[in-house]
Amino acid sequence: MLEPTPTKNGLQLRYGDFSTLTEALDYAARGETGYNFYNGKGQLDFVLPYAQLREDAIAIAKRLLGLKIERGSRVALVADTDPGFLQMFYACQYAGMVPVPLPASLRLGGHATYVAQLKRLLMSCRASVAIAPEAYLSFLREAAEELPLSYIGSADSLRSLPAGRDELVPSGADELAYLQYTSGSTRFPRGVMITNRTVMNNLGNIVRNGVKIRPGDRAISWLPYYHDMGLVGLVLSPMAAQVSVDYLRTRDFAMRPRLWLSLITKNRATISFSPPFGFELCMQRLREKDLSNYDLSSWRVAGVGAETIRAQPLLAFSEMLAPSGFNPGAFLACYGMAECSLAVSFSPLGQGIQVDEIEAETLAVTQRAFPALKPTHRAANAKEFVKCGFALPEHSVEVRDEKGNTLPDRHVGTLYVKGPSVMSGYFGEPDLSGEVLSPDGWLNTGDLAYIADESVIITGRQKDLIIINGRNIWPQDLEYLAESQPEVRTGDASAFSVSGDDGEDKAVLVIECRIADPARRSALSEELQGAVCSELGIDCFIELVPRNTLPRTTSGKLSRSGAKRDFLQRVAKGETESPAIDIAAYNYRHRILSAAVGHR
Amino acid sequence: MPTYDQIVDQVIESIKEIVSHDLAIDENTDLISDLEFDSLKVMNLIEDVEDYFDISIPLNVLADVRTIKDLALQLERLTGKN
Repeated sequence: MLEPTPTKNGLQLRYGDFSTLTEALDYAARGETGYNFYNGKGQLDFVLPYAQLREDAIAIAKRLLGLKIERGSRVALVADTDPGFLQMFYACQYAGMVPVPLPASLRLGGHATYVAQLKRLLMSCRASVAIAPEAYLSFLREAAEELPLSYIGSADSLRSLPAGRDELVPSGADELAYLQYTSGSTRFPRGVMITNRTVMNNLGNIVRNGVKIRPGDRAISWLPYYHDMGLVGLVLSPMAAQVSVDYLRTRDFAMRPRLWLSLITKNRATISFSPPFGFELCMQRLREKDLSNYDLSSWRVAGVGAETIRAQPLLAFSEMLAPSGFNPGAFLACYGMAECSLAVSFSPLGQGIQVDEIEAETLAVTQRAFPALKPTHRAANAKEFVKCGFALPEHSVEVRDEKGNTLPDRHVGTLYVKGPSVMSGYFGEPDLSGEVLSPDGWLNTGDLAYIADESVIITGRQKDLIIINGRNIWPQDLEYLAESQPEVRTGDASAFSVSGDDGEDKAVLVIECRIADPARRSALSEELQGAVCSELGIDCFIELVPRNTLPRTTSGKLSRSGAKRDFLQRVAKGETESPAIDIAAYNYRHRILSAAVGHR
Repeated sequence: MPTYDQIVDQVIESIKEIVSHDLAIDENTDLISDLEFDSLKVMNLIEDVEDYFDISIPLNVLADVRTIKDLALQLERLTGKN
């Protein structure tokens, strides 16, 4: 019978105070803790103690050297939740190579889309080696067909090659630890460069100051390894503090979210993170009669991040699970991004979700977030935002207006962050890097925020970003799909999201189209809806409009906010079919957003 | 071991639980363009058929599934392995 690695460790706890990932793993390997893999039935499938992982990684590292690739070469890894990914990731560290996690997510009918996505990423990072688990290997081979790779295969096949004779020289503090492709646009990928020094700074901050690791901690995660929160937060951080982790595959969680709670109960896990969406999904699928099966009293850190956090669904989650011993104080709101390794700020531990209630009208008119003082006004005129806590030690945050002036507390603007966890830039993209990272080290997060009581408070994430079912959809990806149709010209499509009457966001594409024949028009809409669904996995409302309908700036660029405003006016006047949107909610949000970004 | 026809019937049964509208569904129905399945609905469907046939459907096989027939053929192959 397989036994998971223990929670208790004989080793003295160290808080990630290492200069590289290999130093951290060398130390963790002296204890008994490690990574554990559970299947879709919640059964333990594979156990990988840090000690074994280190041995495996070193063995594979020697094979990487045997490939005679240059030091610092990119090794692309299709990052399914399996031991092979972790062995490869750390093997790269021991061999002085740069691992690049690639998505392991497939959609219905998504074969061609996935292969194209892999190809774009392999090209963007100029990979020398590409590795995938057996199930993904055929896609990877297809993607790599015309690319000059030195090796393509699985972790096991690489391991069966002869070892190189050169001595292993692990990646140093100032060498790249990995490239992280952000959850940004799939069409125009950006590989965040993170050195060992950078990631170790973030890991140290996470384990010492964020979740404050202590003996007896055990983590559990279903987050994908190719996302920053999954990789940095729940793979690297636990290792840096010698904590055992139990993994569920993301797809198994998505299908059976209750597995998450059963496993916490079974292994007495203390730390787990999720975007708000994960808590909501879990709650939707809970059955009253299951509640007595769970004991969540051990769960002391329920981290929430990666999306704008709303308090209400989390409160509902904690109310529902109170009978199972869930402590609402365990919620830990945090803010971060791949460009800052992972974490930028953590709210104080043990206090749960804290909100800042402000006067909505004042925000709309003056862009200032004044506390809502009159309780009688609350229902109609207050808005609450979740506090995402204090910036990490050694890090600074500031809010600036459109002209770059630093704003005082309680003024909404763009959030900037500076400190030792910030990336070196985007791989092979000096211009893009220069756009977000100033020479003096300030990173433009692109997020709208204000600061109050030293806490970072996010009011809107990336002003154009569309968030559907917890997934970030970039408008340019939707517009690209539209423009890929032969009937649509480049620059004639505009994508944005509107608030549905169920409170969920809905994606909308407005397309200028010359075709008059109704049959051809509806064929185009259907074709495009299918393309959006198979490429991005979402529903999209498509509106075809006459030429010169979409608003443009003086330089001829489309204005997405203008297109959205006009679209909603057409809906309100009954000139276009309504995609079941809530106009009142839109008007309210629109006022706040336009106040926040400075145009009315 | 279920026959192909039984599998198709079961898949259609599961789909009818998930989609509310009353469409005529047969083996040539396209899950994406006809039924507008998003990723959550796909997960619900997969969970349902996995539980029913007591199999595990690897994500990679979904990449080449568009119609009910495509899915049923994969299920036939997977249930045949048991």
